[in-house]
Amino acid sequence: MNHIEIGRLLRSGTRGCVVGCRVTDISAPSFGGLVLIPPAMDGGISIYGIIYDIHIDDDGLVRQLVTADSVSEEVILDNRINRNVPLEISVLFAGYEHDRKISHMLPPRPPLTLDRIFLCSDEDLIRFTPVSAFGYFRHILRAEEIPVADVFAAHLRQVSRAHFSSGNPGWLDSASKEIITMLRDDYPLLMDVLGAITDTRLFENQS
Amino acid sequence: MNELSDHSPAYIGYIVGGGLKENLRVRLTIPPQQVQEGGFVVIESGEWLFYGLVTDLQLGSTDPRFADEQSEQRFPKGIAEMLHGQTLYTNLVVLPALMLRAGLESDISQPGSGILPVKSVPSHHANVRMARAQDVAEIFGNPQDGGKFIIGYTREQGHAVCIDLDRFIQRSSGIFGATGTGKSFLTRIILSGLIQYNKASVMLFDMHNEYGFDDTESDSNKGIPGLRTKFSGKVRVVALGRGSTIRGQNPDFHLELGEKDIQPEDIELLTRELNLKETTPGTLDALVKSFSKESWFTQFKKLKHGATIQDETGKTIPAPDSVAAWANENGIHPAAAEGLHSKLNRVFNRAYIAENPAADTLEEIIKTLDAGRHVILSFGEYESDLDYLLVTNLLTRRIRSRWEERTNQYRSKKQHEPRPLVIAVEEAHKILNREMASQTTFSMIAREMRKYYVTLLIIDQRPSQIYDEVMSQLGTRISGWLGDDSDIQSVLSGLAEKDALRGMLSRLQAKEEVLLIGWGIPMPIPVRSRRYDDQFWQEILGSQGNSRTEKEILSDLGY
Repeated sequence: MNHIEIGRLLRSGTRGCVVGCRVTDISAPSFGGLVLIPPAMDGGISIYGIIYDIHIDDDGLVRQLVTADSVSEEVILDNRINRNVPLEISVLFAGYEHDRKISHMLPPRPPLTLDRIFLCSDEDLIRFTPVSAFGYFRHILRAEEIPVADVFAAHLRQVSRAHFSSGNPGWLDSASKEIITMLRDDYPLLMDVLGAITDTRLFENQS
Repeated sequence: MNELSDHSPAYIGYIVGGGLKENLRVRLTIPPQQVQEGGFVVIESGEWLFYGLVTDLQLGSTDPRFADEQSEQRFPKGIAEMLHGQTLYTNLVVLPALMLRAGLESDISQPGSGILPVKSVPSHHANVRMARAQDVAEIFGNPQDGGKFIIGYTREQGHAVCIDLDRFIQRSSGIFGATGTGKSFLTRIILSGLIQYNKASVMLFDMHNEYGFDDTESDSNKGIPGLRTKFSGKVRVVALGRGSTIRGQNPDFHLELGEKDIQPEDIELLTRELNLKETTPGTLDALVKSFSKESWFTQFKKLKHGATIQDETGKTIPAPDSVAAWANENGIHPAAAEGLHSKLNRVFNRAYIAENPAADTLEEIIKTLDAGRHVILSFGEYESDLDYLLVTNLLTRRIRSRWEERTNQYRSKKQHEPRPLVIAVEEAHKILNREMASQTTFSMIAREMRKYYVTLLIIDQRPSQIYDEVMSQLGTRISGWLGDDSDIQSVLSGLAEKDALRGMLSRLQAKEEVLLIGWGIPMPIPVRSRRYDDQFWQEILGSQGNSRTEKEILSDLGY
């Protein structure tokens, strides 16, 4: 598999999971990105998810260091690279694949701890987000305590680029229409989402 | 004009709600400017087609805040357009009128045919499209069929809309519209259709001398062909009064009324015009009793007003040939008789009333109509209301009496069926207003003469002035733009869908747009009226133009 591994699973449920990774791997995952958890055994399911949060918890050493008068570069690097507490990446499940068929339903069972997590390639993105199939948007909309508007904006930016590169510039319009349809009875949230999409400047070329 | 083979597939929206009482609501999927109020739409719901009329377009939003905020200023154009398409919308309000099970042959005038007055509603999300030429032909008739006469065209697509002349002549009809909306042209068009159709005779009271001979349009100075010019073998122009000419042209003959033809009811009809008192009916009754029904007018005219003599005692008394003397002898107050005599001077002095006319031209008119020809009575210089009221009522009374007699003969002795007659009356409110309608022959014709093969075609700009009972009897109503609420109300009186049509009538284009409504029309529809131009005549008369058949020429010569 030529995917970029970003970490291993810390904890999970059927709606999402938290992935731990090293600070040195922080450049690969990004907010809104689509990730893939391959099956742990043959015949299992591959789970797709969207990153909606990345956070770095403190540890005892950091608490002492932040109050020190001066901290040398070596110490800073040592704390970052050799820290014991991993970065935590929160993932919202968006669907799964079984027998080479994509489903936008939640996975039937959660992945197991220490399962490896990979970033999706453009090919994966396109396979999981075909035109006119936006069922997984409902998982984003229903999720509580996630920044829905920004997750959508970041996700749309990544996926639309992949579709654009593959010669399908209409995906962004279709996805935006679907979001408007789903949120047309929720004025505040729709305005938030459209505002965030506007900030991506994806539509600037169309203005 | 589109061909009947038009198959434009585009749907304009889908049903989202409504009902028979509140009309149907259609979510529009095209820009609202592409649909107009009055548009003829077809709703496809399973095997049923529903035909309806757009009566309103309403802007809506899923949340009022989407409408309040100018999102195009906040978001890029692409997003704003998508947002508008999803959250802002236009709903059509459609008045359902008819329904048809697809594939059935239809004729709404025939009981049991496929087309039914709407009794159900289409399903949710049933597709809606503008009517095609074949839909319009399905409902209003195919112009190629006999008796189907093109009156105008649908406003959006220009499909020909026909009226059924058979139905048109079965009941009285009306053409309404404010001044300058093209009533005269529309009347010419319909009369041309009736004349060409040749199943009814037309008696037209042409108060302003504009229908018989060629005229000039006041706005454009263009020539307007007269009906006599185009149908020279079928139309007779009659001028009121001996020696009268119409716009410098000689009529076919002149109408002169005999004094014996004038009856007390003709005078009573002039009560408002002559400012007659309430004593008038009593005085007239005494005149008829004193002289006779045929000679009272002549004898009363001969009586002298104010003539006196002195008796043996030197006292001044009314002369024996005075009005007062006649009044005293017949128990009438002399002042009442003298007042009536004085006011009737305006009638006595009419030049077209003669004691012994050279010919019975009234009878001549009736014969002409009976022979299947058409008469345009031009009033020439006699354009006053007095002349119009007196002559129209007198002539119509005579016609009515004759047609009633013919019908009774036909029904009892199986003589030949009377030829249907349409009496066209301009400025109809003068003779069909509330005060006079009950006294004139016209209201009776409007109410019950269809049984006797006589119907009215009334032409007026103030329908509210026409008696309600007459208005409610009108089968076909064709109305141009009306501004006055009471006029609109009046034109729509008696129609179930009047609330929905009221706004439509007031928003018609001032010229060349009319609303067709009433019993004679399968469903209400606004149309762009047909133009009275060379093309019209080409379509009506074909290549023969003004030429006449040998039979017609011989007929004119009396052979």
